[in-house]
Amino acid sequence: MTNSIREIRDADCLFITGSNTAVSHPVISYEVIRAVKRGANLIIVDPRRIPLVDHATLFLQIKPGTDIYVFLAIMHTIIREGWVNDTFIAERTEGFDKFKAVVEEYPPERAALISGVPVEQIEAAARIYALGERASGTSIYDDKRGHSAILYAMGITQRSNGTDLVMTLANLAMLGGHVGKPSTGVNPLRGQSNVQGACDLGCLVNVFPGYQAVTDEAKRTTLAQAWNVPSLPGEVGLTIVEAMHAASEGKVRAVYVMGENPMMSDPNTSHVEHALRSLDLLVVQDIFPSETAFLAHIILPAAASLEKDGSFTNTERRVQLLKPVIAAPGEARPDWQITGEIAARFDHYLGIAREPGYWVFPSAEAIFKEIAAVTPIYGGMSYQRLAGAGISWPCPTPDHAGTQYLHVGKFSRGLGKFNPVQAHDPAEQPDDEYPLILSTGRVLYHYHTGTMTRRSEPLAWREPGGFVEINPADADGLQGSGGVVIESRRGSVRAEVRISDRVPPGTIFLAFHWRESPANMLTQDFALDPVAKIPEYKVCAVRLKQA
Amino acid sequence: MIQLTIDGRAIQVQDGATVMEAARANGIDIPHLCYHPDLSVSGGCRLCLVEIEGRPFPVPGCGLACADDMVIRTQSEQLSAMRREIIDLFISDHPLDCVTCDKAGACLLQKYAYEYGISETSHDFEVSRTLYQDDNPFFLRDHQYCILCGRCVRVCSEIVGANAIEIVGRGFESHVATPFDGPMIDSSCVFCGSCVQVCPTAALMPVSRRGQGREWDLDRVKTICGYCGVGCEIEYARRNGKIVYAQARPDAPVNGEFLCSKGRYGWDFATSPQRLTRPMIRRDVAYDLGLTDDPWTLPDSSPLADEKPRIEDSFVPVDWDTALNLIGERLADTVKEYGPDSVMGLSSARCTNEENYLFQKFMRAGIGTNNVDHCARL
Ligand code: SF4
Ligand code: SF4
Ligand code: FES
Repeated sequence: MTNSIREIRDADCLFITGSNTAVSHPVISYEVIRAVKRGANLIIVDPRRIPLVDHATLFLQIKPGTDIYVFLAIMHTIIREGWVNDTFIAERTEGFDKFKAVVEEYPPERAALISGVPVEQIEAAARIYALGERASGTSIYDDKRGHSAILYAMGITQRSNGTDLVMTLANLAMLGGHVGKPSTGVNPLRGQSNVQGACDLGCLVNVFPGYQAVTDEAKRTTLAQAWNVPSLPGEVGLTIVEAMHAASEGKVRAVYVMGENPMMSDPNTSHVEHALRSLDLLVVQDIFPSETAFLAHIILPAAASLEKDGSFTNTERRVQLLKPVIAAPGEARPDWQITGEIAARFDHYLGIAREPGYWVFPSAEAIFKEIAAVTPIYGGMSYQRLAGAGISWPCPTPDHAGTQYLHVGKFSRGLGKFNPVQAHDPAEQPDDEYPLILSTGRVLYHYHTGTMTRRSEPLAWREPGGFVEINPADADGLQGSGGVVIESRRGSVRAEVRISDRVPPGTIFLAFHWRESPANMLTQDFALDPVAKIPEYKVCAVRLKQA
Repeated sequence: MIQLTIDGRAIQVQDGATVMEAARANGIDIPHLCYHPDLSVSGGCRLCLVEIEGRPFPVPGCGLACADDMVIRTQSEQLSAMRREIIDLFISDHPLDCVTCDKAGACLLQKYAYEYGISETSHDFEVSRTLYQDDNPFFLRDHQYCILCGRCVRVCSEIVGANAIEIVGRGFESHVATPFDGPMIDSSCVFCGSCVQVCPTAALMPVSRRGQGREWDLDRVKTICGYCGVGCEIEYARRNGKIVYAQARPDAPVNGEFLCSKGRYGWDFATSPQRLTRPMIRRDVAYDLGLTDDPWTLPDSSPLADEKPRIEDSFVPVDWDTALNLIGERLADTVKEYGPDSVMGLSSARCTNEENYLFQKFMRAGIGTNNVDHCARL
């Protein structure tokens, strides 16, 4: 997030898209509710009638995959009506003219035809967002223009044009100048407790800790020196989905999995299973015997986050300390101890000698000291400083207070760039054979592949089994509660039916928590976003059969 | 800015602040039951009565807007007498079960009864509400302890936005209810437990703490929630090393006193008997290594096809050294034979910063590949 969670309550206008906030980030939805109660406008752009719609002042219910047309039309309207923030654009951005030329091709009438959202709604959303209009009450900010914030999640990123969509939202924010001030910004809500930290610390194929590109020779040399190795690999690595293809082809031979469950979380399960079975070595380190663990050669028992020291970085970039609450069961160990031991033994078999303590650390805190030394955005942090409220990065030096919101006065790249983005349709469109669209995601009481929540008694009581949400209009002929078989070009899945007008006609929704109805048997892994390599979980074509 | 005097102290506050807010900001505690800093003012309990110089009658401080040159007293003989009478009335229909109550030590009514020295009611004791609802595994509703402060109703509407409950009926009939007093699961409740968090008495209590010890038997540790990326701070109350219940604290930097259903109630997975507790090697690999005498082959059917697969059927437990050495050796062999890029590391968005850092350092500085990823995209 560019801005912090607490700022949401003071926003004048909130623009939420591709995020079922009340379900995936309930505590952020509480901030949204507070803002609405204080008189903020809430605009929601989503194909599903999500729970927050009950509190929205404007709901743009789009056909799945057509949001890009609506965003472009909103920007078209803002420019046409002169609601742009001229000063901001002149002083802080570049590329506006080229961008404007593209946006001119997308009037609201065109978006209305494709998305099903009426022109008046698109124009109202444009005005309210751009000017930061409130529904009632007075702003706590005394600017001419109200403060508008955009919140989004996987509904935007898990798309074959996800990068385009993210750039589009950034363009929208810059048009209104809603950046670099409290209660504004472009705010991705991240789904997992430490997904932000895993990215920050370089568990990505193209960057070292602190987003330093692996292809940057100077960065590589500096880090090699810090790590005391002759050199570091300079080629961008394989992402999960690419590695699964490579494993099927015999190019990847060994996979070490720490706390992930690709058999449930990755697209096209049959293909993932084939890939994992072809490996010479699959090591799975986890707290439960996940579906992936059953295919492993070796399984290692890990401690859960409730059982260890360490730190997490949340979606607003705040680094906070963990404390062990209970003891780990049996011989389970914290992941950092296990990885360190594996690395030391790997060295031993290759006859590599390194200084003692290179891999095996006495504590999580000792690792954090090394993190601070090689990760500029974490440079000023220490366990001592993190105790209490934590610190949000960037925090480059020990006397730096951390950064509540980004891009004050200037962007990290200098001027903000308007990226001229054209609309693209989802890779797999419904057709006569597969007439429905399947979206995947989460339900409130479960988390991810369900390994934890489905073993929690109260949560499993509230939502015991998998179900697919189907609009009444598509449920004709599916009598009784016998369940339904969902088929895509990749596979088929059986699920119980929940008739619901939360999904629009033509779209069905199946969460990916359910091992008895594994949604990713159906999803496709061929059309990844070209830049972010994210699979299109939110749109694939399916058909229904009576079970 | 407004200048006023509270209990003889000159105080400066922002325009629009109430006397309650001004007092709290300056460390002056005005007794209160229905007031909660995150919720709208209800003004129902009247325990927060204060005296304003120049006005004949005390008024509730929670709803009173500060004005310039106001002179406020929060303690006096008259106020104490009034507060005693209010508490006396509250306990005329609230059973004084403090000797067995799980909430003892954290109950606000108990606190004020103690502070104002009220040990029994001077009125006829009669419990107005007797409904006891244990219709879900998250929380219990024991209406005899309810004082109708309305905090639960307000939090549900003003913070959670669920509007699952309201106060219905009049007089002795009135109580906090779901539509038609139905079970929670049939209401719009999302089982976030925010109502339980803000309830000042034992009317709303987590199921998990029933009979598990009283406030002073429990010790507390705060950590960060392991579910979504909001980063809520959760305080776990423990007894003998086991979690009894979870709650949030007002000073939690992101979430304040609020959590979702997963964070507040979804911690019991950690002690599930299905946890992995020993390193294990798959039976076919173990057989090849001479660790077991029974040959075995991995079935062709998907692990997903099996309704309740048992890990013991496919794996044999080994000690840590055996497992770690085997991994070190096989990884080294793979790198020797096929090069570093034949290895892929999948780290985890649920592991700590320290673990993710070390993991990618191993892949890059140890193995020598940038094939390291996690499910940020999934
Ligand atoms: S249940 Fe608790 S919070 Fe709700 S009105 Fe009764 S005493 Fe107040
Ligand atoms: S648990 Fe949450 S949603 Fe349910 S009644 Fe309480 S506050 Fe409302
Ligand atoms: S706290 Fe003011 S009336 Fe209850």
